[in-house]
Amino acid sequence: MMRTLVLLALLLVATALALLLGQVPLSVGALWQGLAFGDGPAALTVRVLRAPRVMTALGAGASLGLAGAIFQSLFKNPLASPDVMGFTAGSGLAILAAITAGLALPLPVIAAVGGVAAALLVAFAAGRPDEGITATPALTVVLVGLGVGFTATAINGFLMTRLSGPEAAEAQRWLAGSLSARDFGHGVEIMAIGGALALCLVPQVRALRLLELGPDLAMGLGLSLARARYGLAATGIGFAAAAVAVAGPIAFVALMAPPVGARLLRASDPGARLAAAAGAGAIITVLADLAARALVPGLVLPIGIMTGILGAPYLLWRLSREMERGDL
Amino acid sequence: MRRWGALVLLLVVAMAASLCLGVRPVSLSEAWQAMVAPDWSDPAHVTILSIRLPRLLAGLVCGAALGAAGMAMQALTRNPLADPGILGVNAGAAFAVTFGSLLLGRADSGVLAVLAFPGAAVASVVVFGLGGGLRGDATPVRLTLAGAAFAALLLSLISAVVMMRGDTLEVVRFWIVGSLAEAAARPLTAMTLAALAGGLLALALAPRLEALALGAALARGLGTRPGSTQAGVLVAVTLLVGAAVALAGPIAFLGLMAPPIARRLVGGALRPGLLAAAVIGASMLLLADTLGRLVFAPAEIRAGVMTALLGGPAFVLIARRLGPGASA
Repeated sequence: MMRTLVLLALLLVATALALLLGQVPLSVGALWQGLAFGDGPAALTVRVLRAPRVMTALGAGASLGLAGAIFQSLFKNPLASPDVMGFTAGSGLAILAAITAGLALPLPVIAAVGGVAAALLVAFAAGRPDEGITATPALTVVLVGLGVGFTATAINGFLMTRLSGPEAAEAQRWLAGSLSARDFGHGVEIMAIGGALALCLVPQVRALRLLELGPDLAMGLGLSLARARYGLAATGIGFAAAAVAVAGPIAFVALMAPPVGARLLRASDPGARLAAAAGAGAIITVLADLAARALVPGLVLPIGIMTGILGAPYLLWRLSREMERGDL
Repeated sequence: MRRWGALVLLLVVAMAASLCLGVRPVSLSEAWQAMVAPDWSDPAHVTILSIRLPRLLAGLVCGAALGAAGMAMQALTRNPLADPGILGVNAGAAFAVTFGSLLLGRADSGVLAVLAFPGAAVASVVVFGLGGGLRGDATPVRLTLAGAAFAALLLSLISAVVMMRGDTLEVVRFWIVGSLAEAAARPLTAMTLAALAGGLLALALAPRLEALALGAALARGLGTRPGSTQAGVLVAVTLLVGAAVALAGPIAFLGLMAPPIARRLVGGALRPGLLAAAVIGASMLLLADTLGRLVFAPAEIRAGVMTALLGGPAFVLIARRLGPGASA
């Protein structure tokens, strides 16, 4: 209980800091006046610039955290997150391709198609023909996913050369993962899609709990393994795609959020761990975005660069720890 | 012997294509005329001498260096997924060049090119160490993930620098995706000598490296010092990759694809393997560069994009062949 409160408090503090700080720091009074009444000197900054941005960051971060938690739990491997395995790269590629081709479909749909295609490709390429993806060692899936990600990145590089100068600069920002110039539409979009997916996830928590007992026991307790796994994987891809659609393929949040959440909450139940991962993802994303826009005066970096600088050392540290324990 | 004949034929065809094909096709006899009896008033001769010939030579050196470097790295790490791009060595070189151009301003490209060497050296040692190579227990998964994470970190830092300083963008864009297009302005002679030195060192160390593959204890019994052999091979790889990056920027996946083809053609011995991988690397890079010039002429697809489009799927193919024992 205590730890849940700590997590919530951290979330609130991160949100408040993200609203207060930036290229122009605000006072608490000005923030309140601008946010609640829409007047005062800070109204424009708060209502048009910061609040939509923070809302989008919260939703995208929570979605990425949940996506990471689902896949890490499914594969029982801390490295099996949708960003390491190339799913978010697939979503990013689909959106860039749609922009290049001038295709007018809603971004979440395109991102979902790309994410599903990348996931199917990974499953198809990594799966042993006789047993399918579920019998494949998690690390083989991770490696194949990295390869699919490399390929998507290469095609992105190719598409970038097909765009004109300003288009390319914009696409470059977008591909790094950026929360610049978000409006409330983006915030509402990610909150609505994320909320709907969370409702789908709730009844599946029981399946996740059973799966963690091991496939034999889960089957004995009446779980249809294939259905449960595909349902969870589809939900996870949905979360990742929804986040990519509003914020671009932000790296490493899905990888970092679940273990950070688990450390904060110290929960062993899958349901609580999912909630903790969502909270941690939101906190990481909001703070990383704050750092990206407030750290260097006069310069707003894309958030993806900041999560890359934070997340890559984390992945390296994680690798060395897995190696010490002999798990890798 | 017939296989060596086929390799040489492949290289000759690639060289001829690189010289003759492009936006302005030139016949072989005309290209020969340009080289033996240059007539600077003939635009075809100017094209050959000042654009295509430097490009051909840079492609030869760069491709051969990357092929041989890949072979040496795969032998050193006993990892079929080793490649200067995948293990972050390219990113290290590009990072050094980026920060060099930030600190020195618009220095001439010769100075910047030299920076590629310390960058490549530091990155290769760091990734080799993080992946467990110094302790002698590196596995493909460890090295690949360590390399991917380190490269992600460096690429994030490079992007941050590029966004901070708009004027470095034009310098750095070249380094992110390698290409032979700017080869005429690169220090070709110096880099050829560096690559030659690296190649000779790798050839000289080949027997000791093969002894090392039998295990450190057995290698010591055969009179090989594992530490100095590893250090020597890392120096060779640094010279090869540094020269390639200085000439063409980071070109990924050539070092991944050339060695397996070479092993299939000339068998498992390391010395002929290094030579064959160099020939295959040079041919592939020249063909990729020529194809990139033709597909969307007069626009160009950068050679680094072309090799990555081939290399991503190749990575997936090799990764899925690794048994669970190799990846766990």
